[in-house]
Amino acid sequence: MEDSVLNSNSNSQSNNRQTVPFNDAKIIIGLEVHVQLDTDSKLFCGCSTRFGEAANSQTCVVCTGMPGALPVINQRALELSIRTGLSLNCRIARSTKWDRKNYFYPDLPKGYQISQFDQPICGPGHLDIQTTEASGQPRRIRIERAHLEEDAGKSIHDESNDRQSSKIDLNRTGTPLLEIVTYPDIRTAAEAKAFLSELKLILNYIDVSDCNMQQGNLRCDANVNLHIPLRGQQIATPIVEIKNLNSFRAVERSITFEAQRQFEGWQENGVTIADAPKQTRGWNDHTQMTTLQREKEDSADYRYFPDPDLIAVKIEETQIKQIRSQLVQLPAILRELLVKEYNLKPDDAAVIVSQGRGVVDYFLTVADGCENSRVANNWIGQEVLRHLNESNQTIQQYPVSHQQFTELLKLVIAGTLDQTRGKEVLNAMVEHSISSEEAIKQLGIKSVDNSELVTLCETLMDENQNVVEQIRSGNEKAIGMLIGKARKKNPNANPGLVKAMLSKMITG
Amino acid sequence: MPDTPEQPIVNQVARLARIHLDEQQLKSSGEKLEQILGFVSQLEQIELPKDVIPFFGAIESVNAIRDDQLQTSVPREKILDNAPESDGEFYLVPPVFKPTDS
Amino acid sequence: MTLSALNADVIVDQLNAGDLTATDCVQHFLDRIQTHNADLNAFISVSDTALEQAETIDKRRKAGESLGCLAGLPVAVKDGICVSGQPTTAGSKMLENFSAPYDATIVERLKSAGAIVIGKTNMDEFAMGSSTENSYFGSTTNPWATDRVPGGSSGGSAACVAGRLAPVAIGSDTGGSIRQPASFCGITGLKPTYGRVSRYGLIAFASSLDQIGPMTRTAKESALLMSVIAGFDPRDSTSSKEHVSDALTSLETPLKGIRIGVCRDHLHEGLHWEVKTKINDAISVFKQLGANIEEIELPHSNSAVAAYYIIAPCEASSNLARYDGVRYSFRAQANDLEEMYRNTRGQGFGDEVKQRIILGTYALSSGYYEAYYLKASKVRRLIKQDYDEAFQKVDLILGPTTPTPAFKLGQHTQDPLAMYLADIFTVSANLAGIPAMSVPVEPSSTGLPIGLQLQGRAFEENTLLRAAHQFQNETHWHMTSPAEPWRTQS
Repeated sequence: MEDSVLNSNSNSQSNNRQTVPFNDAKIIIGLEVHVQLDTDSKLFCGCSTRFGEAANSQTCVVCTGMPGALPVINQRALELSIRTGLSLNCRIARSTKWDRKNYFYPDLPKGYQISQFDQPICGPGHLDIQTTEASGQPRRIRIERAHLEEDAGKSIHDESNDRQSSKIDLNRTGTPLLEIVTYPDIRTAAEAKAFLSELKLILNYIDVSDCNMQQGNLRCDANVNLHIPLRGQQIATPIVEIKNLNSFRAVERSITFEAQRQFEGWQENGVTIADAPKQTRGWNDHTQMTTLQREKEDSADYRYFPDPDLIAVKIEETQIKQIRSQLVQLPAILRELLVKEYNLKPDDAAVIVSQGRGVVDYFLTVADGCENSRVANNWIGQEVLRHLNESNQTIQQYPVSHQQFTELLKLVIAGTLDQTRGKEVLNAMVEHSISSEEAIKQLGIKSVDNSELVTLCETLMDENQNVVEQIRSGNEKAIGMLIGKARKKNPNANPGLVKAMLSKMITG
Repeated sequence: MPDTPEQPIVNQVARLARIHLDEQQLKSSGEKLEQILGFVSQLEQIELPKDVIPFFGAIESVNAIRDDQLQTSVPREKILDNAPESDGEFYLVPPVFKPTDS
Repeated sequence: MTLSALNADVIVDQLNAGDLTATDCVQHFLDRIQTHNADLNAFISVSDTALEQAETIDKRRKAGESLGCLAGLPVAVKDGICVSGQPTTAGSKMLENFSAPYDATIVERLKSAGAIVIGKTNMDEFAMGSSTENSYFGSTTNPWATDRVPGGSSGGSAACVAGRLAPVAIGSDTGGSIRQPASFCGITGLKPTYGRVSRYGLIAFASSLDQIGPMTRTAKESALLMSVIAGFDPRDSTSSKEHVSDALTSLETPLKGIRIGVCRDHLHEGLHWEVKTKINDAISVFKQLGANIEEIELPHSNSAVAAYYIIAPCEASSNLARYDGVRYSFRAQANDLEEMYRNTRGQGFGDEVKQRIILGTYALSSGYYEAYYLKASKVRRLIKQDYDEAFQKVDLILGPTTPTPAFKLGQHTQDPLAMYLADIFTVSANLAGIPAMSVPVEPSSTGLPIGLQLQGRAFEENTLLRAAHQFQNETHWHMTSPAEPWRTQS
């Protein structure tokens, strides 16, 4: 009897669940981002942090956890953390301490990771991100904390060899990481991606990290669950932590997948956050799915306690002030500057700013120099960025200096060079690393005076009577053919001027 | 102070500490643990002033910090010299999970 | 006088004067080790380069080079301290085949002062113990009574100095591991202020309590060693930048007017009657030296052992996690990683070490941290505050080092609590971080050494050394050696 009641009850609930559309579910996302700080040496010893060196060639008694060895904190890691915290509007701790997170893993030499448990170097802050929402309002993602910790080494699980052993490389062990933790304020996969893009951009601007995701310098875990409205109540699905997201695409796709998976799971079994503990899943790039990760029974019991080998770090107000005073303008400020002071469209401003501080500076100098920010944006946004992209160069490597570029744009703006010739000149400048003047000379460009232009037009009309007739009978577009021929006869003739003169002479 | 632990807890703690103990050792370890915890439970009696700050040991609180300067790493041969098993490049450890019987 | 009867400062003088060569000196002590170590088991390993180093020093001296202040002096070093290229076992099977790839800071300093590390001394495994019976390499015996323990954990260092297998030694002290064996073996031992001597290269037991210090026959020798090993080390974050002034220069500054505190409680509870008598006699000596004896109270000192037996195992459970069979150390056979960990640590550690790891792991595990580690650390604050208050009134605190003289081998091995109570008077100084030393007083009627403990303000080792030195000017207990051949006591 009871069974059947339960069944029918659960059936009816199940039926209820089936009627909720996926779009009604709210996705709740929090991110934990590990950023490798750009220091020369490791967090607690003098070994190099360089990537890609021979296995176990960058270790010492400290980072391999030899008996008796002791850690000493790297000053620059603290500075970079404070710089990051200030850029993310975080409260900087006046006193920060170190704790041991105890767990066993072969690439964790000491059997504990030195981290920060209850006094992280950066407290609450926030980051505003641009979204595609109709309102155009930025979304504020609150940051809970950012703490410093040492990275672990690398385990290579080699299933192929007969002995079936794992190989351990400790080069990465002890590399400084800043773990930035957001509140669960993110609502869509696209927002998660936007948050990461903006964060990455900021970290780039403030020279804290090169954020090379392939090298694992920026790693992300996402905590995801759903809030689903059901009969006037909010049902929360169990929280899943998705690990090892090492590309923006993986972040976006894994969240999208996970949301769908959780929704379907809930529809099927009705399991909520109250019924199940937090789960860890890994994103598989090949299958494009998250899969349950095998967990150790005691993985959660890290037995944190203050590391007695290290003492608390006091951060003075003056130090924070000094770091703040050296802080560069952040992307959001620059975007606003480009829109408000340089009249760029928000999208154009975003493109320039997304290229990094170097491109922004290039743009600002050129725009100021040629006194036409629209033209500067068009040329830099298209020609320069395309070149950098294709050649995989940075703006610092771009062969055309901002002075030369400014000179070129002045000629274009003055009409001395038309767009097409201008681009030919630019290509020559890039190719041969020469000035605009030299390029113009090399291309044989010289100015054409009015009488030359009249002679050219008369010749064209003589030689193309039928086209002239077409134009006269109303087909104005046919004039384009004459302009094309004009270019062949004299490449230096400005097509705009030729067109104006021809129309006057033909239809006059 | 929490109750003194039962033997299954000793088992659990030994697993957490990655120490294999046989039945006999588990039993004796459990007894000793109980004895010591009984002894330290006297701490329970101590009335702590409300604002007492734990003392974790270091006498000074001056920052101990080093500059971000590279130091020569230990040559690989030397660092691997003490390794129970290595291939000259890597430390070698048994697989994380038991090899399957297949 | 034979060489082994000489104090280190005299040996150094003779070496400097050319009356003695480093080679002869080292050879003499190597010979004594060769002859007597089988009885004492004070050394785990003996240096195979000591003679070579001595020859180099002799050559350099002959060539007129300027040498360090200990040039040619043999020093025994506890085996929990790394000496480059030498076996460094910490008394454990786990490190039986470990060769330290670097010198501890204090070893570096000793070597650059010209001292020669003659061998590595026996100890309780990972310094956990009060009798040196927990060594994987067998117990050390007490040269005053070979059926008795030398104390621990630095029992090898204490026994080798008492038995004159080395003129001086280095030990480490986490809860009494220098002072208690010094007391049991009738020698002088100093645990410096936490942070005074670098811990870099000291195999950690409990990092917030561990300190390296000298174990010698006289306070003057301890002062000599301190002048070399003390001082800031940028490789140890907890090492102090506090100025170190030379203890040797202030040794003779009169004690007149110095205020010495005595905690009456410590002279009653569970104290062996002879210990009480001899300590009271020692108090009279200090009075004659012009000291004012005052009563003080240390109300939380009776909780010190309990706090210690939470804090030390908690830190140890984490410090010893690195012995996992991956990068160095013993590794047991296994089919998978987890089994490798469990078997390695199950077989590689001895019983006492495993017991303390289990206690520490338990006390730090989820839900217990506040009740155990945090509570103990708060009690630790109270203990420190007791001292702060006491040192407002007095300059030194005097009492017994241990409640009893050396106990018999095997007497406490089945009773951890009885063993732990051997530390009852010593652990407080480690918890508070203050310096403390043990100085021999008149032995018991059966000839067992008894130690007097002096505790001082942080960074005031020199006051301790000065008081001890002047006490030793008035007494001769520190200069008596056990008669050879060594005998059992009863």
